[in-house]
Amino acid sequence: MTAATARVTWRGMNLWRLEWLRLKRTPRALTMAAVFVFFGLLEPILARYQSQLFRHVGNGVRISFPPATPAAGVSGYFGELAGTGLIVVVVIAAGAFTFDAHHGLAIFLRTRVTGFWQLIAPRFTVNAAAAALAYVLGALAAWYETSLLIGAPAAGGMLAAMLCGAVYLGYAVAVTAFAATIVRSTLATVGIALAVLFALPIAGVYHPIADWLPSALTDAPAALLSGTHQLSHYLPAFAVTVAVSAAALTAAVLRLRTREI
Amino acid sequence: MTTSGLTRDYGGAGLFDVGLVVPRGSIYGLVGPNGAGKTTLLSLLSATRRPDRGTISMHIGHNRIAVCPDVPEFDGWLTAAEVTDLARSLVAPAAGRQAVATALAAAGLAGSAGRRVGGFSRGMLQRLGLACALVGEPELLILDEPTSALDPAGRAEMLSLVAAMRGRRTVIFSSHILADVQRIADQVGILRDGRLLYQGATKDLIDTYLEPSWLVRIAGDLHPVAAALAGEPWATRAEPVGADTIRVDATSIEAGERGIPAVLAGCGARQVSCEPVAADLESAFLALTGASS
Repeated sequence: MTAATARVTWRGMNLWRLEWLRLKRTPRALTMAAVFVFFGLLEPILARYQSQLFRHVGNGVRISFPPATPAAGVSGYFGELAGTGLIVVVVIAAGAFTFDAHHGLAIFLRTRVTGFWQLIAPRFTVNAAAAALAYVLGALAAWYETSLLIGAPAAGGMLAAMLCGAVYLGYAVAVTAFAATIVRSTLATVGIALAVLFALPIAGVYHPIADWLPSALTDAPAALLSGTHQLSHYLPAFAVTVAVSAAALTAAVLRLRTREI
Repeated sequence: MTTSGLTRDYGGAGLFDVGLVVPRGSIYGLVGPNGAGKTTLLSLLSATRRPDRGTISMHIGHNRIAVCPDVPEFDGWLTAAEVTDLARSLVAPAAGRQAVATALAAAGLAGSAGRRVGGFSRGMLQRLGLACALVGEPELLILDEPTSALDPAGRAEMLSLVAAMRGRRTVIFSSHILADVQRIADQVGILRDGRLLYQGATKDLIDTYLEPSWLVRIAGDLHPVAAALAGEPWATRAEPVGADTIRVDATSIEAGERGIPAVLAGCGARQVSCEPVAADLESAFLALTGASS
């Protein structure tokens, strides 16, 4: 060993640490957290001052809003679960799952692992956990600011809403993992994953299955905060979301096994 | 390692009925023009593609095979040491960190171990690919164009490194630089249009497909000597190629080696030198592929 090598230190590497470093050393983790916290801080302000905002941009037209409620203050944030926040999570997850888009990288990984769960499990777990953590950070920011500006929302409703969002984001990451095995490029993977995630709520228009779809979890926070439904109402959606996520990950592994590079 | 009837058909192109025989501990050079099927064959051997038919027999475990693509790619935000350590964790988890340092040093990257690979040149990436392969102490090393991005000094280092593996591990490498193959490969396989045209010892290929030739320098009038040589039944050609040099082509090495001195002595010619025309793999390759066209 040369002196130059002896000076270099590094922590033991494995596929789990690889995913952690992917989030830490690139702007991925920071971007995700920043987006969710930004909306967590912005939405309560919009809810609290919407009358004043419309007065400024309304060209003299007066629009009256009911007084802002704590539930309304945080509901805007939870709406990001099906908006900008979801897109950011899918884009970041797609970057991790599309290793086959790079021939040399695909050979490095594929010729060394003993099974494709080795590649999928850390990518899914770390990205889903990071997305859930960023989402919860944003929710806490929204909770804090709503408490300052409007009043404290119900703690039970907030915790239940966070749980729904975290599970839904895990489902979004699993769908992205599967999309990465249908196509190779990151852009195409993002397109397919978002198409699935945005199209599924359309099936919810057919009322009898609406409560069973994963997309029910994106509507759940508003209902939970307003007291319209209890968490138990969403148990079918939870069960289906977890089952579909597991199925998507299993299908991803099977498809990677048959794909050639 | 052997293959039998290995076929992968991409609609007329691909690989057809390839029966490879790679002796344990040998360095096997795979050569052929672009599109001959070299990369397809290496992909089948490394199991990143599947054959339509045929078999591959390797009596070694999955983690004892290492593959280096011609353009290695890694996550650019990892350091060279981390990339190599990741490879170690996957194929040789029991090996210590010393194995990482040793592999990096062997690949000539000891001084860049702490650098992020995003800033590496293609040549450095090829070296890193080799370090990742070596860290697992593989029994079979598959290298696709291992010197294609290296400068002359780097090429020489890489070839010396591969040559030093002879007997300790089996190496299969493809290259379009025939001089590299001739320099280190003891076995060679020539692919063309997806078919294996030749397989065997590199020296045998050169001997088999080259017409034996010599350049004979003599002092004095060379034309009577050239005429005498041309009249011999074993000589296929004998012509002056300079003021004092005759090129002599013979039907065999033995015939030339016996016949030329005898004719020179018979003519009383004053011989300055007699050198065989350098036989190289490129000439043999051209002779072989040309004969088959």
